Amino acid sequence: MNGDIVRLTLRQLVGKRRTVFMVLVALLPSVLATAFRASGEGDPAEWASTQLLGGMVVAMLLPLAGLVFGTAILGTEIDDGTAVYLLARPIPRREILLSKLCVAWLLTAVFVAASLLVAGTIALEGTDEWGALIAGFVVATVAGSLAYCTVFTLLSLLTGRAFIAGLLYVFIWEGLVTALFDGTRLLSLRHATLGLAGYVASVSRDTFDPELGGATSVAVLILAVAAAGWLAVVKLQRFEIGESG
Amino acid sequence: MPPGPGPVPIEVEHVSRWFGNVVAVNDISFKVGPGVTGLLGPNGAGKSTLLHVMSGFLKPSAGGVRIGDEPAWLNPGMFRRVGLVPEREATYGFLTGFEFVRLAAKLHRLPDPDRAAARAIETVEMAGAQDRATGGYSKGMKQRIKVAASIVHDPQVLILDEPFNGMDPRQRIHMMDLLRAMARAGRTVLFSSHILEEVERLADSVLVIVAGRLAASGDFREIRRLMTDRPHTFRIRSSDNRDLGAAMLSQPSVSGIELDREVMTVRVADFGAFTRALPGVARTRGITLLEVAPSDESLESVFSYLVRR
Repeated sequence: MNGDIVRLTLRQLVGKRRTVFMVLVALLPSVLATAFRASGEGDPAEWASTQLLGGMVVAMLLPLAGLVFGTAILGTEIDDGTAVYLLARPIPRREILLSKLCVAWLLTAVFVAASLLVAGTIALEGTDEWGALIAGFVVATVAGSLAYCTVFTLLSLLTGRAFIAGLLYVFIWEGLVTALFDGTRLLSLRHATLGLAGYVASVSRDTFDPELGGATSVAVLILAVAAAGWLAVVKLQRFEIGESG
Repeated sequence: MPPGPGPVPIEVEHVSRWFGNVVAVNDISFKVGPGVTGLLGPNGAGKSTLLHVMSGFLKPSAGGVRIGDEPAWLNPGMFRRVGLVPEREATYGFLTGFEFVRLAAKLHRLPDPDRAAARAIETVEMAGAQDRATGGYSKGMKQRIKVAASIVHDPQVLILDEPFNGMDPRQRIHMMDLLRAMARAGRTVLFSSHILEEVERLADSVLVIVAGRLAASGDFREIRRLMTDRPHTFRIRSSDNRDLGAAMLSQPSVSGIELDREVMTVRVADFGAFTRALPGVARTRGITLLEVAPSDESLESVFSYLVRR
């Protein structure tokens, strides 16, 4: 881990329009939770776990934040040519990647965890499941943040259109394909995150019943981080400037 | 500038690099040592590709590059001894000039990064603007702060891709003085340019690259002589083209003449002898010369000649 690269990356990401955009998106679950409680309809624990936290936060906000920060930490510098000021230094490429990945993970986890804490508290206040569900989803989204950021950072090293590729993964693969074919859920970070949330929360299956079990979810997340992280390091070590002249 | 610990040469051995079906660099070999070497060639000749291979940012499709005793590819450790100034203008626009250079010093793990940054900035005469964000710098200022970041660790080898782009004449002279001082202190300085005059003024030796191939290499004066002595073509208008053409055909320096209605095209084998003979022949025959113009003086035509040799 390199503190100078961490500080540089934080300055690159914080204060930009993308951060303002993420703040606005992170406020949406709280707006929805307030509307739900105001309506006074439905079971708050079931609605919060499946629709609000499992739906909006894990299925939308988490991958979006991971995509925004994961593709920005290196993709932007590769696009504008500033990556050379880090790569033309006598420091191992894995140190560069690890430092930048930690920033993306930190920002993604902070945005998502803060959003779900506020929105979850609004939706679940006064229910028996409040503590368990919030704890389960916070742990799961922090772990899921690392997995999404690692995968999307790898994408930004593989293609110049990482953001589009990431959106396709989130909406087509995780949103559509895994809903149609059960076996594909093993290749879904969303389902692994939900599985981990269910395992940590340990609430009634009537309230929240994810598709993947706890052990499977943990294995999927660890494998995703290890494989994508290793490939990203290899790709960065073999990084080539793609221009001729 | 104090002398370094020892000369570090750049060795390029049979390097080729292709992108799909396009061969950008074709079987190039050379070795450059301490001093200033210019990599000269027209735009698109393969200079940047070759510099990227040398700095470990492109894998050669064939052959290899060594900086001193280290390979360039898959070896970021070589940047302890190498400084690189990329062609692209971008810097971290939110950092001040001082922060930008100090970041480089810190990434090199120098013992006193503040002092190293201040010294490098002073060297490129940017102290007056060091506290301004680099995003607001002019092109020439960005070039200089990039050079400061690349020399902050006092490298033995400095590779610069089109370093004079955007610099005004005074900045160019200063940068040339700096590079010459580094060369005198035993550093290996290699820079690319598509401008003949830049290379002529700065480089001790030159590598001419055309269409991905090394067209010529060696002492600049020798290559300049080849360029001057190559066959030339002149476009001439006079009061009597036919008479002048007949007279000039007897000159040994002339290898051929084509007569059009108003213009005569003369192919010349010996540039010096022709330019000395032409005014005398015209004066003797009472012919007025209206226009004498070289018709193939573009850099590309010079390079093409060198490739054909």
